[in-house]
Amino acid sequence: MPQQQRTSRWRVWHRWLSVIFGVQMVIWSISGAYMVFFDLDFIHGDHLVQDITTVVPPDADVQPVSAVIQNYPHSQTVTLDTRWINQQLHSVYIAEGHHGTELLDATSLAPIELSEEHIVELANRYYAKGEPKVSSVVYLTENPPTELNPKLLPIWQVNYDDFGNTSLYLSPETGEMLVKRHTFWRGFDFFWMTHIMDYEDRTDIESWWLQAFMIGTFILMITGVVLLVYTISFRRKRPGGAE
Amino acid sequence: MMRFFQWLHRWVSLIIVIQVLLWLVSGFYFSLNGHHGMSGHQYLEHGDHAMLSEVAPTVDVADIRQRYPDAKTIRLHSIAGIPQFIVTSVDDTHYLNGLTGAVWTTSPELATTIAMSTYNGPGDVQEVSAIQGSDEILNWDDAGYQVNLEDDLNTRIYIDAASGQMLNHRNTPWTLADWAFRLHFMDYSGGRSFNHLLIWSAGLLALWFSLSGLILLINNFAKGDMNPRRKPTMLEHLQREQKPVASSCGGGGTCGLCKVTLEGDDLPAPTPAEKILLSESEIEGGLRLSCQHRVDDKYSIKLPDHDAATVTLELATRRLLSPSIVELTFNSSEAVSYQAGQFMQFCIPHREQVLTRHYSMATSPDPHRFVFTVRQMPSPSEKIPPGIGSTYLCGMEKGATIEAIGPFGDFILSENSQRTQLFIGGGAGIAPLRALLQTELSRSQPRSCVFFYGARHVNELCYRNEFTGVDQLEYIPVISEPKENQGWKGATGFVHEEVEAWIRNQDVNQLDVYVCGPPPMLKATMAMLAEAGVPRDQIRFDDFGI
Ligand SMILES: Cc1cc2nc3c(=O)[nH]c(=O)nc-3n(C[C@H](O)[C@H](O)[C@H](O)COP(=O)(O)OP(=O)(O)OC[C@H]3O[C@@H](n4cnc5c(N)ncnc54)[C@H](O)[C@@H]3O)c2cc1C
Ligand code: FES
Repeated sequence: MPQQQRTSRWRVWHRWLSVIFGVQMVIWSISGAYMVFFDLDFIHGDHLVQDITTVVPPDADVQPVSAVIQNYPHSQTVTLDTRWINQQLHSVYIAEGHHGTELLDATSLAPIELSEEHIVELANRYYAKGEPKVSSVVYLTENPPTELNPKLLPIWQVNYDDFGNTSLYLSPETGEMLVKRHTFWRGFDFFWMTHIMDYEDRTDIESWWLQAFMIGTFILMITGVVLLVYTISFRRKRPGGAE
Repeated sequence: MMRFFQWLHRWVSLIIVIQVLLWLVSGFYFSLNGHHGMSGHQYLEHGDHAMLSEVAPTVDVADIRQRYPDAKTIRLHSIAGIPQFIVTSVDDTHYLNGLTGAVWTTSPELATTIAMSTYNGPGDVQEVSAIQGSDEILNWDDAGYQVNLEDDLNTRIYIDAASGQMLNHRNTPWTLADWAFRLHFMDYSGGRSFNHLLIWSAGLLALWFSLSGLILLINNFAKGDMNPRRKPTMLEHLQREQKPVASSCGGGGTCGLCKVTLEGDDLPAPTPAEKILLSESEIEGGLRLSCQHRVDDKYSIKLPDHDAATVTLELATRRLLSPSIVELTFNSSEAVSYQAGQFMQFCIPHREQVLTRHYSMATSPDPHRFVFTVRQMPSPSEKIPPGIGSTYLCGMEKGATIEAIGPFGDFILSENSQRTQLFIGGGAGIAPLRALLQTELSRSQPRSCVFFYGARHVNELCYRNEFTGVDQLEYIPVISEPKENQGWKGATGFVHEEVEAWIRNQDVNQLDVYVCGPPPMLKATMAMLAEAGVPRDQIRFDDFGI
């Protein structure tokens, strides 16, 4: 009898603590299970896109790199690359530095402006999930969606009508694909948010309430362990006894 | 179903508890340190690369295209003020010195310069060692350098020799965080992968564990267990109010002693326990077990034994009736009116507690005199002490006193019927049956009585002489172990079997039956009576639980 009374007090605590902390524990295990069960490469969307770099055509008439540096003396990096523009493969230079990023025709060193059509053309080349079906193209300059780092603005967003609602994000200057997102990444991000309990920016893992919940869950666990010890040792004393 | 979830919750928790603890502790460590504290980047400087116009490369892309015709991109940048080309070809990446065109090489001195250009901490270089891969840099097993710095964080900077690239900074907080990651991700190789069989299994268990807990919690809410303003059971309420109510199972719904009558329009439906312990007509009449229902304004509670009071009993005589049964006679200075078949609830002092035990009066009522027959409960095994209550009572000295509450009970004689009174008993069950028999037989016109009484030995047939040769009473003692009772000429076997044979020649509708005895005998007798077709409302029984 006295033993039963003692367990019931622990049980009351266990129940009430679980109302607050146990529910978060459920959220932690569901979000944890999601993150664990979906392969990270899949979440990253590696299957959504393909490598579109090609060998610089041997016959391409390419200006010396010193000419680029002369035109853009603040460049810190200059890259000879290729771009498909209007169904044609062009050799290009990309000059990056304090002045920003410039895409140049490698033959004439004239700057290349990428239009919406060019961006869609490039995005479709990256797209690896069969026949591309673009649902919308948006030039983002402000208010980025949560799935995009605001530092990358401005940027082109090309959305596809497919299983997974793929979105590819391309640089307006170079046409390079910088970010890829799909439903499962968004799910991962959502569960990550619930896992770290930062419902705004989804990055802060140092909040006081996250720590408070962990301490609370720890106490909940202690009460659970006490109950476990009681129930198991109590059973042994009364073999076959009634509850 | 809830039992299953309880079982699941308990056993899964036993398996998973350590890992949950590790998740909590490592998670707490992550939270205390934050992303930055664990990155190893405390002293990382994002150095500005020199402008290419200043580093003046002398090699041109044309030369490189000639050497690597399958180049896809050719990238020119600078490392520690030296121009470098990175050539990405179809299946390889080449690093070339932009001044000489030769394949890039990194000397220990250059590695140190590169390392220091990414470092803004207080330390000086302590040691530069050439290495081949490192446990601290995932998926890197090329040639390179480890530059150790003499600072508070024990910083280590890794440089790849082929490219001259700074791979990463590592330090003591990073090492601790790395262990936390191993524990959190259950990837003890340090690979920081959380997509593997071990953590899948742990994740599944954790999921079962927390979901079963959630289901149990929801069930608790649905049952009202979580309502802080929930009403107590009627039994708890009555006990708190110090009202006389008996209970030997502590509200478990098994003893059937806590009966009350409810009055009101909308009486609560009987629980399974009540359907077992009460007859249909009793339920119909508003009788309920007070431990089974909660206090409600909708109905009022009537105690069947509202006259019950606390009395002090003084032991007058004690005598051995049989090897195991002791007869105790108490006197009461206060007059207590009780009926035959009723019992008293004794307050047995035991260590710091007071235990309650129940004993039935064994004679026809006498307001100042109480006779009990107490069976001495032996120890079932060496380690377990004999019965607490019975040992205490049988050990009382003459003149000693004890408190008791009562009388309680509805195991009393039927009224208004001329049916044959059939008594069936065994062991300590003799007490209430004897009281009933004495009362019935002392009436001016007693009904005809039949008494079957079972025992193992002849010397256990309590009060045998009292029942033999009495008018109006047919006494049938039954012995269950005749081999040890040479010379016994009476009935043998189990008492309910003897009754079963007798009852075949009776009109079962013309019987009022009273049963009291050890649980197995009680159970067998009740089953036999039901089989024989005796109406349930004509059967009364007292369950001692011993
Ligand atoms: C309405 C009613 C009327 C009753 N009338 C009578 C009566 O007239 N005469 C009578 O003798 N009894 C009567 N009883 C029974 C009585 O109330 C007690 O239940 C009985 O005396 C046993 O109580 P106890 O304290 O001696 O034994 P308890 O201490 O309750 O123990 C009961 C038995 O279990 C054993 N035990 C204890 N601990 C353990 C353990 N850990 N594992 C295994 N076994 C254990 C004990 O040795 C003992 O045999 C009546 C009961 C009721 C409900
Ligand atoms: S207290 Fe035992 S049945 Fe109610």
